[in-house]
Amino acid sequence: MSFREKSAWISFGSILLVYAVYFSRVAATVFGDADGRGAFHWFLATVISLVVLEVVLHILVAILSPHEAKTPKDERERLIELKAAATAFPVLVGGALCAIGTMHLGVGVWTMGNAVLLAIVVAELVRFGAEIIHHRRHA
Amino acid sequence: MITNHIRRLRFEHGEMTQQALADRIGVTRQTVLAIELGKYSPSLEVAFRIAAVFKVPLDQVFQFQGERR
Repeated sequence: MSFREKSAWISFGSILLVYAVYFSRVAATVFGDADGRGAFHWFLATVISLVVLEVVLHILVAILSPHEAKTPKDERERLIELKAAATAFPVLVGGALCAIGTMHLGVGVWTMGNAVLLAIVVAELVRFGAEIIHHRRHA
Repeated sequence: MITNHIRRLRFEHGEMTQQALADRIGVTRQTVLAIELGKYSPSLEVAFRIAAVFKVPLDQVFQFQGERR
C-alpha cells in the first residue's frame, strides 16, 4: 500500500470517527431532548481531535516508510486526487442545497450550520473513499 | 488500448526492480506497477523517460493496439 493510500485511509477513518461522535451529539440535541449548551466547545473539541489524530497518524506512517513520505506526488496520484474531487463535488453541491432546504423546515441557524457541516463532511468522506478505490484499482 | 514491454525490458536490464525504475523516472513504485498492468497510461514525458532509461525508442516500450471494445 502506497503512502498516499495510507494517507487517504487515515483521513477517511479520522473524519468518520470524529464526526460520528460530533453528529451523534448534534442529532441528540436536534431530534431528542438533549441540552445543546456547550455546542461550540464540542465543535472546537472535534476540530482539535481531528487535527491531532491526522497529524499523529501521518507522522507514524511517515516514520514507517520515510522514503515514500518524502517522494512528491506523481502524475497518477495527482490524477487520482482530481478524479476523487470530481466525484465529491456533486455530493457537496447536493448537500449544500439540502442544507439550504432546511430553511423551509423552520429550523434555527445552529441546525442549518450543522447541516452545511454535514454536507462538507459527507463530501470529504466521498472524496477520500474515491481516492482509496482508485488506489486499490491501480487506476 | 496501449500495451507495453516494461516487464521484459526490466528483466533484460539486470532484473531492474519497479522501485529502481520508479526512482529513475520520478514516479512511485505503484505508478510503475499500474503502467505495467496497463491500468494507467503515462504522460508523454514519463513515457519518454522510461524509454530513455532502457535506451530504446518509445515504440519498443509502448504499442497502440487500437480501441478497446
